[in-house]
Amino acid sequence: MPETTTEEQSALDRPWVTVVWDDPVNLMTYVTFVLQELFGYDEATATELMLQVHNEGKAIVSSGPRERMEHDTNRLHAYGLWATYQRDA
Amino acid sequence: MKPFRRKGDQLVARLVDAEADIVNLLLDQLEQLLVADAADSGGDPVLARLLPSGHASDPQLAAEYRELTEAGLRSGKADDLAMVRATVPPGGGEVRLDAEQARAWLRTTNDLRLAMGTRLGITAETEPPEIDPSGEGADDDSQLAVYYWLTAVQGSLIDAVAAGRGDRR
Repeated sequence: MPETTTEEQSALDRPWVTVVWDDPVNLMTYVTFVLQELFGYDEATATELMLQVHNEGKAIVSSGPRERMEHDTNRLHAYGLWATYQRDA
Repeated sequence: MKPFRRKGDQLVARLVDAEADIVNLLLDQLEQLLVADAADSGGDPVLARLLPSGHASDPQLAAEYRELTEAGLRSGKADDLAMVRATVPPGGGEVRLDAEQARAWLRTTNDLRLAMGTRLGITAETEPPEIDPSGEGADDDSQLAVYYWLTAVQGSLIDAVAAGRGDRR
């Protein structure tokens, strides 16, 4: 059995993240609403994340184990937000 | 259209008959799209936007995600659509929604806007049309007018639902 290098080990330890991407259709008020609705963020936090999506093109909206990020991505897709999940860079 | 307002626990708007007809027509089109076989409609940008990839660059992860979630995503959208359809007054009139119906309206009007916006190539710079029914591109302009009408409907509902949430705190 091959030994795991420290580098590989730290890659495995890195959490997964859910990313929301900017989209020309979704209203800013809607994105803020959905982030509050799904993640329980207060209005200020949700607005800040929405503005990051709008201004920088994307924002990390949640992080944790892979299965939970799949679930979060799925819940965002049900609301029509453009989301993906990945291992944290 | 009288935009959505909160009245007690409910969200209330009013549609004229032509608006109710348009909503029903758009719901029919969305329903057909949602039952379309992904293999037959492969590469359809609208379906790709409604059922997006779960991973930006890893095809295997994206395929696993699709396998796991696509059927549920489609059936959730179909359930929302049926709930919205049941609240549209035939021939126009009052639309009265409880909290659950309001969320179905938010998701479905968003899907309708995503579908139309993708077909019309909406960008951040797109502006509402000046309607000239006799002019060139009248069809695209009328589609764009419907898109912006839906935007106003959804926008009023978001504001009314969000305002209610603030009150409850």
